[in-house]
Amino acid sequence: MVHSSQMAERSTTAREGNLLERSSELAALKAGFDAVAADRRGRLIFVSGEAGVGKTALVRRFASSLPAKVEVLMGACDALATPRPLAPFLDVAEVLGGEVERLATEGAKPHEFAAQLMHDLRERAPLVVVAEDLHWADAATLDVLRIIARRVESVGALVVATFRDDEVDRKHPLRVMLGDLPLAGAISRIRLASLSADSVARLAEPFGVDAVQLYQQTSGNPFFVTEVLAGGSHAVPATVQDAVLARIARLSAAGRDLVEAASIIPATAEFWLLERICPDGMRSVDECLAAGVLSAHAVGVAFRHEIARLAVEASLPSTQRVKLHAAAMAALADAAEHDPARLAHHAEAAGDAEAVLLYASEAAARASSLGAHREAAAQLGRAIRASRNAPDAKLAGLHQRRAHACYLSGQFTEALEAQQSALDLYRKLDDRRRVGESMWSLSRLYRYVGRGPEALESAQEAIRVLEQLPAGPELALAYSNLSHLYVNAEDADEARLWARRALELAEKLGHVEGRVYAEINLAVVEYLATQSADLVVEFERIFHVAQEHGLDEHAGRALLHLTWWSPRFKSYDVADRYYDAGLEFSIERGLDLWRHYMLAFRARREMDRGRWDEATQLAEQVIRDPLSPVPRIVALAVLGLVRARRGDPECWAPLDEATALAEPTIELQRREPAAMARAEALWLEGRDDAIESATSATYEIAVRRHSSWVIAEMACWRGRAGGRELVPGPLAGPHALELEGNWRAAAAEWRSLGCPYEAAMALASSPDEDDLREALTQFQLLGARPAAANVSRRLRLRGVRGLPRGPRGTTLRNRSNLTDRENQILSLVAEGLTNAEIAERLFLSTKTVDHHVSAILAKLGVKTRGQAAAQIR
Amino acid sequence: MPRYVVERVFPDGLHIPINADGAQVCLAVVGRNTDEGVTWVHSYVSDDKHKTFCVYDAPNPEAIRKTANRNSLPVDKITQVRVLDPYFYR
Repeated sequence: MVHSSQMAERSTTAREGNLLERSSELAALKAGFDAVAADRRGRLIFVSGEAGVGKTALVRRFASSLPAKVEVLMGACDALATPRPLAPFLDVAEVLGGEVERLATEGAKPHEFAAQLMHDLRERAPLVVVAEDLHWADAATLDVLRIIARRVESVGALVVATFRDDEVDRKHPLRVMLGDLPLAGAISRIRLASLSADSVARLAEPFGVDAVQLYQQTSGNPFFVTEVLAGGSHAVPATVQDAVLARIARLSAAGRDLVEAASIIPATAEFWLLERICPDGMRSVDECLAAGVLSAHAVGVAFRHEIARLAVEASLPSTQRVKLHAAAMAALADAAEHDPARLAHHAEAAGDAEAVLLYASEAAARASSLGAHREAAAQLGRAIRASRNAPDAKLAGLHQRRAHACYLSGQFTEALEAQQSALDLYRKLDDRRRVGESMWSLSRLYRYVGRGPEALESAQEAIRVLEQLPAGPELALAYSNLSHLYVNAEDADEARLWARRALELAEKLGHVEGRVYAEINLAVVEYLATQSADLVVEFERIFHVAQEHGLDEHAGRALLHLTWWSPRFKSYDVADRYYDAGLEFSIERGLDLWRHYMLAFRARREMDRGRWDEATQLAEQVIRDPLSPVPRIVALAVLGLVRARRGDPECWAPLDEATALAEPTIELQRREPAAMARAEALWLEGRDDAIESATSATYEIAVRRHSSWVIAEMACWRGRAGGRELVPGPLAGPHALELEGNWRAAAAEWRSLGCPYEAAMALASSPDEDDLREALTQFQLLGARPAAANVSRRLRLRGVRGLPRGPRGTTLRNRSNLTDRENQILSLVAEGLTNAEIAERLFLSTKTVDHHVSAILAKLGVKTRGQAAAQIR
Repeated sequence: MPRYVVERVFPDGLHIPINADGAQVCLAVVGRNTDEGVTWVHSYVSDDKHKTFCVYDAPNPEAIRKTANRNSLPVDKITQVRVLDPYFYR
């Protein structure tokens, strides 16, 4: 059987002849591999195009054009309604075998799997890895790909990834991931266009089909064109589905049976499975292969294209379809390799509710353990739909699990709905421990979507319920949840009180998560009060403990707080050490929400550094994908401010949205970025009189919370607008220096923090002409047109003439073109740290640091670390 | 898609020859623009060739700056504009 199908495959390939209009794309793939083979640095190429445009054909042709000794590993995503986690890498892992196969099948976390996969690829370099149909990718696959993409140069493989670009809209997880990747250097894209009218005519000519009509009907889609021509009729069918069915109608009865049976099995239909569900059709395998309807694979057959499979499946009478799915499910249930995602798919199509409940629930557990939370949520949704007659306790458990999976994948609306359903059922069952647990989970969800009063109410209710029962870990977590709400409201006394209660209970119970959660809250409260360096050490300690115990969410939160507060406390010296580590950690662990926070704060930092292009690019990544309001507010403020600072149009749309998201809450962490950005944009437009009213509500909250840094910054804006009010002290930071009239000292402090725009703003308030001239030069260097115009106007009013127009359109660049990471490592080298110490400090591997240090030496053109360090002293 | 007028200042003047080389320069700019969904509609050039007013369709101001950067073109000022047709009123 295998022998004959291999023969058939060869003949199919031969018959397909040359691919039309694909020579430059093929050349690009070949050049990519040649480059990898030459320097052993990996490359990633995305191949995109509409369904049927010939992505697979291109990749196959490329693979067959490579010398036989080059290894090509191929895998594809599932067309299952809910895809199997890591689907495209399962095939790759199977070929690689050993540890990576074990990790893939036993449900390792994406970052563990990715690390092993990259290790294996390095050992086999140079080679080609193909991941097809990423528009169907599950979250775990995208996480793995994201990790590989960021380090692709180190793997020595050409990674080719295909997807249908007409099926991934702006909110599709793949599109979001693509937006995060730098499309330069090692990563590139090939977009396949449809065939031209000329090519269609050349293909049509030998068949005597009307070329003009064929082109109009198919829009040059290669799959559609070949289906029409292979169908053998002179008339052109209206749709590609009709063309497919016309082609199948020419097969023998047994052949049609086989094709119909295969159509209910997404991707490859294994021979053993086909024998079970369509024993009589098996003798027609060669006929179907020869006709080009099916193509041969190692263990089975597949349709030449998913379009064809769907067309056939949709044409089946429903009784036949149900019968085939039921047979496939029964066969798969007997198989040695138990695959719950496939079983759930067929169970649902067969209308077998009991089986759906069983398999979907099992598939969800497997997806969760792989970090594919979105797929887990979908499987649980499927199980819930099938469980109308299940007992309440079972149903409640499914809703509870779905709520958690939705929460972890940032689907808050769905999570709230599921959590509420679970709560209602637990109430009905009078399971009070679960009721309490559901209440605080609900509170957490309300907190994320910014529904403060409901969050507080549920948090308190959870504690009331749980305190009536013997104390367990749920109560410790419920205390911490309430503490967290007070942390966000910056109510230090209440936050401390509840965190201490949580800590005491968690320690008594020996419950690590309860302890870690409470410790983070306590550290944040103290950090807001003192910004002590000890707390940086504490956050690091908590991060390591959480990580050791697999508490990724909490580990991420500990890292997050090391950058979170830097815009307020100007603690960039600390934060600069953690932006990269935080981003890498959240990507590795698939923590999408954390990734958003990290990106937003990083965007803010780039803006403060005067790197506005980078800042808007990062901000756009956050804005594109609406997960949670807090990072969105920060990103919108960055986008609006950069536009305002450049004098570009449309600064108000993002600023208004930020304000709308911030104002319903009393949380300073939301209101501060929005209000501060409004004040600045108003000042830049010369609308000084509007500044006070735009900031007053937030200012009052800051005064109530004794938040001296926020007070100082807001007072500065009011002062710049001509306000002279009594400011409650004591105040802190460079803004306080400016308020005292110490403009130069303020500017010097800003410069040492790496904030050139703020330094110029401080000087711009000075009455001294030299200070104003310096401010003007700095604004011009940054391309800050409105601020520069403001300062020149005031200089001219004083009678100063002949002001330079100055350089324009340039933002500050690092000397020697070092990247942020390289600059950061260079400063640690200058501190005298070894590579191993730097690695530990930045949560990197020593090897990565070695790599960075060599790059720094090369860019600076020096030979030793000492010489490099001397350059920044 | 919004329309913008982009003012550019060329201290040494803008000199694009009216021949195949010039066409090549313009087409290269147009090509790079498509990556960001930016369309260069046309430009007005001052007599001394030191200043241009370029009409663009673009998704946002950042896309215009990004492509300007890629094309090594200066950006002095970006203004969002709408068409006013004087003959519309007749």
